[in-house]
Amino acid sequence: MTNRTPSPRGMPLLDRGVGPLLMLPATLLVVIFLVGPFYYMVYTALTDLSFADAGQAGAFVGFDNFRKLMRNDPLFWSSFLLTLKFVVIAVAIEFLLGFALAFLIFRFVASQRLLTTLLLIPMMIAPVAVGLIWRLLLQGDFGMLTFYMRKVGLLAQNSAVLSAPDLVFPTIVAIDVWQWTPFVTLIMLAGMMSLPRAPFEAAMMDGAKPFQIFRDVMLPLLRPVIALVLLLRGIDAFKEFDKVFLMTGGGPGTLTELVSIYAYRVNFRNWDLGYGAAVTFMIYLVVLILCSVFYKAVYWSSRKPAAAF
Amino acid sequence: MLKPLRRGSTTSALLVVAALMWQITQAAAWDLKEASKPYSGQTIRMVGEALPPLEALKKMAPEFEKQTGIHVEVEMYEHSEAVNKVQLDLNSHRGRYDVIIQPHRELGKFATNKHLVEISEMMADPALRDPTFEPEKQLYQTAWHEISWYDGKAYGFPFTVLNMFMWYRSDLLADPKEQTGFKAKYGYDLAPAKDWKQYRDIAEWFTRPDQGFYGTALQGKRHEALWYEWLNFLYSFGGDVLDVKSGSACGPVIVNSPKAVASLEYYKSLLQFSPPDSLNYFWDDVMALMQQAKVAELIMWNDATYAVSVDTTASTVVGKVSFDLVPQGEGGKIGQVEGWTYLIPVYSKNPQAAFLFVQWMMGYDRQLEQHLNGGASGRPDVYASAEVQKLPYAQASMAANEHAVPKATLPQSAEMTDILVRELSSYLAGEKEAQAALDTAATNISTLLGSCAPMTYPAR
Amino acid sequence: MIDQSSNRAWKSFAWAVLLVTVVIALTPYVWMVLASFKNRVDLLSSVPKWSFTPTHANYPAVFIDKEYWPLAINSVLISVSSTVLCIVIGAPAAYGFARSDFPGKEDLFFFFLTTRMAPPISIAVPLFLFFTSLGLIDTIYAVVIAHTSFNLSLVVWMMRGFFAEIPREIDEAAMMDGRSRLGAFLFVVAPLAAPGIGATAVLCFILSWNEFLYAFILVAFDGRPLTVGIPGLVTPHGTLWGQVAAVAIVATLPIVLFTFLVQKQLVRGLTFGAVKG
Repeated sequence: MTNRTPSPRGMPLLDRGVGPLLMLPATLLVVIFLVGPFYYMVYTALTDLSFADAGQAGAFVGFDNFRKLMRNDPLFWSSFLLTLKFVVIAVAIEFLLGFALAFLIFRFVASQRLLTTLLLIPMMIAPVAVGLIWRLLLQGDFGMLTFYMRKVGLLAQNSAVLSAPDLVFPTIVAIDVWQWTPFVTLIMLAGMMSLPRAPFEAAMMDGAKPFQIFRDVMLPLLRPVIALVLLLRGIDAFKEFDKVFLMTGGGPGTLTELVSIYAYRVNFRNWDLGYGAAVTFMIYLVVLILCSVFYKAVYWSSRKPAAAF
Repeated sequence: MLKPLRRGSTTSALLVVAALMWQITQAAAWDLKEASKPYSGQTIRMVGEALPPLEALKKMAPEFEKQTGIHVEVEMYEHSEAVNKVQLDLNSHRGRYDVIIQPHRELGKFATNKHLVEISEMMADPALRDPTFEPEKQLYQTAWHEISWYDGKAYGFPFTVLNMFMWYRSDLLADPKEQTGFKAKYGYDLAPAKDWKQYRDIAEWFTRPDQGFYGTALQGKRHEALWYEWLNFLYSFGGDVLDVKSGSACGPVIVNSPKAVASLEYYKSLLQFSPPDSLNYFWDDVMALMQQAKVAELIMWNDATYAVSVDTTASTVVGKVSFDLVPQGEGGKIGQVEGWTYLIPVYSKNPQAAFLFVQWMMGYDRQLEQHLNGGASGRPDVYASAEVQKLPYAQASMAANEHAVPKATLPQSAEMTDILVRELSSYLAGEKEAQAALDTAATNISTLLGSCAPMTYPAR
Repeated sequence: MIDQSSNRAWKSFAWAVLLVTVVIALTPYVWMVLASFKNRVDLLSSVPKWSFTPTHANYPAVFIDKEYWPLAINSVLISVSSTVLCIVIGAPAAYGFARSDFPGKEDLFFFFLTTRMAPPISIAVPLFLFFTSLGLIDTIYAVVIAHTSFNLSLVVWMMRGFFAEIPREIDEAAMMDGRSRLGAFLFVVAPLAAPGIGATAVLCFILSWNEFLYAFILVAFDGRPLTVGIPGLVTPHGTLWGQVAAVAIVATLPIVLFTFLVQKQLVRGLTFGAVKG
């Protein structure tokens, strides 16, 4: 194939006009049904629209909602901080466990398709089902896990995880870890398996110790995959809603009120849609920043031949 | 039932006679088949919460169709799904639903946004109105006015009239061994609690964690159930959320009064007699505990009593549970007004057919059948029937309806509830003290409602 | 290198860790399967029951008596239609995207992708009102279109990568052999990218199958899928755990099967095409 004369940018390009034509239906759909409503939401954030209060019919109020959000909404900010805490802790644990497991499998077990496939199940189940499954497992009177945790002394007889103020946040983190560690494992495993052999052979020839090889050869080569996994998990964890809402409703108190739950309350309980749009827009902004980092870190580097994928 | 006429007012007497005769002929003439003729062939669609009374309605609808030719479709969703579906439908003005069955706290939101047909207008139409249906005589008046009226206007009829009262294990309270032991410890006879001290003592006495048995069970999850439950304590202690006479009135916020704080502190003091997972319970969990014979007394809904005291497939305590009003405090005898109500959206394309169906459902026979299938009728005469009187919870439910205390149905009531649930839950979780939690709630509610709702007790 | 015996020890350790992880990952699901065959007394037993007399009552109780069986059909209709649409519309777009250059091309679809990153509720109300004015509300079309549009940005993003991996010379060769551009795409390039297209399709299917909010808002009662039906079993008169479990099992079965069938492609799908399985 190399004996063909390549055009400057890797010919053949599409004939003029055909490319846009192929992209048109998809673009139209996305613009009409996703981007359009999205901008409507952004506009709503600048109005006082409410489905509850007849006096708020959607008049333009400028940045009032954002002003209130920034200056005068402690609940938003406490839920925002709690979400950051949730993301950092959960993703860190998922990454460390997932990486360690991937490394063990990669190094000592080789290919194990059946078992790794079974690992996928927790994250494939509908979120609605996941929330209810865990509610059943952790229920204080007939929950299976509650029973065994009490039996082996992990939990006091007079305590139950979703009712104990000091246990409930760790519990939702643990459930997220249960659900998503396999994801990290699989991706890290795939990343490790596609590593080139040459750098490792060269390092061994140089007499490097296993740990040195791990630290100086493997980790740098895996960096793009690590960035990918952290960001994908970060974005998802930031938007976590279903399972926590179904299990705790944000409580007890505000101990598990993630920002997505707060946004749900403002929009779908209080129907304060103008303000609710401002809240969701803020969440969008944060995720957008994460996305941009993801884009730069992963896809730009992927154009370079050195990247692992 | 005529009042004595004033002497000399022959004209008015004549008028009354004429009116009466007209009414009588109308009554004789009015016939469902006749009245529904113009609407035969129409389909009305209704939506509500997936519960036994709605299932019962669905089973009765074919009979209505047979008589009228009006087809009835029923959509059943989970509680908050049913509320959200309706909210979206009304605001899109599309008129998918001809009848919506909604919790009455939504009423103010719908009424002020002009989403609802005034039912009184349809009742004034002799072609539609069945003269034998007289809501002002046949329904619980306080309940009807709170559940289906807003700001002096009638919008519907009660689908269910709900209230909460005390459930207790009568077999345990009558056990001689328990009675002797209880008297030795507390110095008075063991009997269903009349006041909150007795309620607490009984809860304490029966708390035996080693046997997996508890005195009471609180619905402490961050969920509407917590707010509903605490309102019983609040009202009974003599407190309230707003200082008003009806649900549609706005007025001073008093939810952080000393009485309210006392009721909340008392409520939390019961946590020690409730199972360890109480902060994760809502109605569903405490119901299961009672069915499994793991709790001595608790405060629960009238429409759930069926599943614990009659349904032997689900309950192990049939014949062992009794029911009574919530214990009394300074606020006297109380029951809370709650209910789902039949409403007709102005966007409905078949409002007359919808009205005819609702009116038909409000009739005695249908109400009785629905009630016996796990419903909670708004008609006292249904309660008075021999079949209902046989149900173990009939008396308590009637008494609670007599002592109904209204709750806010203002457009902001959903948000008010949300605020209170959050603060109550914060207190239970130990994030705040009772006073601080209720102060925050009062401040937020006052801000939400605006100038009509000043704070009577300044936040500390 | 590590010597033989310690290598063996590590090997057994790694196996042990892997097995334990699999057990932890699966136990909740297995428990749910068991729950779906328990009666209410066994379900609410304070001592967990691993062996019990199974009842088959929960499945007919919910799928026949409560008429939940059409929900399974709705789930299939919605997910299959939106997956097919995604691929039919998305694959040509991705191909065009991979094979053409215009200014700002990179940023355009990245921007589309980010709009998907807002919390789902953010555009729920606008979309509802929009479908109402189109007259499509309450139909399965509405949710199929919504799922398709949401997932299209992912589809194009992923498949662009797969097409980019296929050298442009292949298209050229096919066209020199007398195929049209479309022919080259359909009969030469697309088959080569089949594993990638499969991975994308599976991801679309799963996202659509598990989606709750839009399926709830946009579809009428008769068209609602299984996910929307599950909460209806949590009632003030008691949670029907056996029936919840039965629906949850049926609602996850196809996903579990899919997972087995296409595990290799799934890793690729889950990373939006960035990592090969």
